[in-house]
Amino acid sequence: MIKKVFQLLVVCLLGACTEKDEVFEASFYECTSGITSNNLQHPLANRIDSLAETFINKGIPGIMISVRNKAGQYTASRGKSDLASNVDLQACNITRAGSTVKTFTAVTLLMLQEDGLLDLDDPISEYLSKKVFHGIENAENSTIRQLLNHSSGIHNYIQDTKFQTASLNDLIKEWQPEELLEYSRGRNAYFAIGTDVRYSNTNYILLGLIIEEVTGLPFYEVFEEMLFRPMHLNFTSFAATDPVPNGIIRGYVDLYSNLNLINATYYSGWDYFSADGGLISNTSDLSLFMAKLFQGELLSTESLSEMKSWIAPNEPNKDGFETFYGLGIFQIMTDYGPAYLHSGDAIGYFASMVYFPKQDIAISWASNGNYGKLDAIIQSKETMERIFEAILKTKSGYKEQ
Amino acid sequence: MWTLKFTALCCILVLTHNISGQQPVTISVFNESTALPFDRLINTPMHPGVQVGTEFNWKESKHFRLYPSISVGYMFHRKLFQGLYANLELGFDYKASFGLNLKSKIGLGYLHTFSTQQEFQFDNGEYRSSGDTGNSRIMPSFTTGLGYRLNPTKNNASEIFVLYQSWLEYPYSPGFIPLMAHTNLHLGLKFYPFEKNEQ
Repeated sequence: MIKKVFQLLVVCLLGACTEKDEVFEASFYECTSGITSNNLQHPLANRIDSLAETFINKGIPGIMISVRNKAGQYTASRGKSDLASNVDLQACNITRAGSTVKTFTAVTLLMLQEDGLLDLDDPISEYLSKKVFHGIENAENSTIRQLLNHSSGIHNYIQDTKFQTASLNDLIKEWQPEELLEYSRGRNAYFAIGTDVRYSNTNYILLGLIIEEVTGLPFYEVFEEMLFRPMHLNFTSFAATDPVPNGIIRGYVDLYSNLNLINATYYSGWDYFSADGGLISNTSDLSLFMAKLFQGELLSTESLSEMKSWIAPNEPNKDGFETFYGLGIFQIMTDYGPAYLHSGDAIGYFASMVYFPKQDIAISWASNGNYGKLDAIIQSKETMERIFEAILKTKSGYKEQ
Repeated sequence: MWTLKFTALCCILVLTHNISGQQPVTISVFNESTALPFDRLINTPMHPGVQVGTEFNWKESKHFRLYPSISVGYMFHRKLFQGLYANLELGFDYKASFGLNLKSKIGLGYLHTFSTQQEFQFDNGEYRSSGDTGNSRIMPSFTTGLGYRLNPTKNNASEIFVLYQSWLEYPYSPGFIPLMAHTNLHLGLKFYPFEKNEQ
């Protein structure tokens, strides 16, 4: 009797407290305008299609991969935009691109410098009130440039275990920049300013606030005015204006590393209102952005050169590519030569964008799943090498496509 | 799942057996949170839980009491997990003469967590909505708190208590996040519902 009552209680309790995913019609994910530039006859189309398929076979719920070179732009998409609704992912769908926004932040600041509104070598204390950065070691004396290339040594709030547990405790909280900065206050800097480089999201929160200070506008409106609209990045926006826009593909997390996914689309982020993440885009737009940027269409030669002033970390990355830090961009050394890269995670999403200067080709890929086992499938060094090989390797060796 | 059922049934059997003696019943409601120990007392939003258990007498003097305790409980953490657990603890109380108890416990429990959302399992090259068999965890814990005996002169007096329990969830996400820290803030009551019958 006790056993039956117990079983009934457990089943009722657990069943009643489990949310089912909302089911949408396929039309919910239809793109209002397709990618008009998608060249289905692109010479790399078959390779990219096959490559995308391999990710799905390994457990990525949905993926899009874009290339852009002299043969034009091609995007492949495979898998599902929504597992509960069983809707196929389309090349023109929008997804979260997380920290790739840091490159947009850096380009915006370089443009503002070109406009005479700031100087990258000014200390940030010339633009931000002490109230903003008090208690954040190294902040007062760091320059904008040192924040951009992560040589400030400022503690990274996202690696703070108090922040990590707090964000799990309230997965739908929308964090404001000042709340995030609190997790870096009173924390030791990683090193003295300018003596090393180490990635820190806190740097880019402060940079977003500087953009707002010198323009008088929310930084994401500045992105819109200076980058998204002029570059015709029609699928790109920032989360603050609409955190979960209609048609955004569902994002999934493998929280327990067993390829058992749950929907994280409405998990908020800590990056909806800060310039260290929060980008919504797709691989077509990201590859367009990278191509235009490094082909010199966005910045002056001097600014682009500043962006590509590389700094090596004191301790090389043992597990990944040899990596150098620029302004909002990294240079990695691959079998196909140097490549400029930035990647980004959001909860349930991953995106990466790369430009190979020798081959003049931009590559971007994005998935609607991350964490746990998915991370190794979508963003490991081996994965990147496989992507680069599939797209860049030629019969004659490593020549330009 | 059978492990949870077995453990929980054992707890219930021990509980019902001992209620017929002079063991107390403890019942508490609590707020669970993923948090580092002693970071904050109260975390928001509230993630509710309920726990029921009993305590056994082991060693007791005028001011000290050492006792094992056993409990079962349920917690619901919105958007993350819900869990059923059985917990065995060793408690140590310092009893002040005016009724205040300073309480501490160390414990080890079994926790079975379930998702609070629909799950999709990768199987044969595609994802399918799956039934949730849950995840097995152990939950070592350390608890401190205060109690107040409603009748300070009586050994078997009812007690109201507030407990701050720090516990770890292990394993959490192998190869990704090895363990997760939680805290539970309990508000509860210990009472002796069957004492008169025995006397």
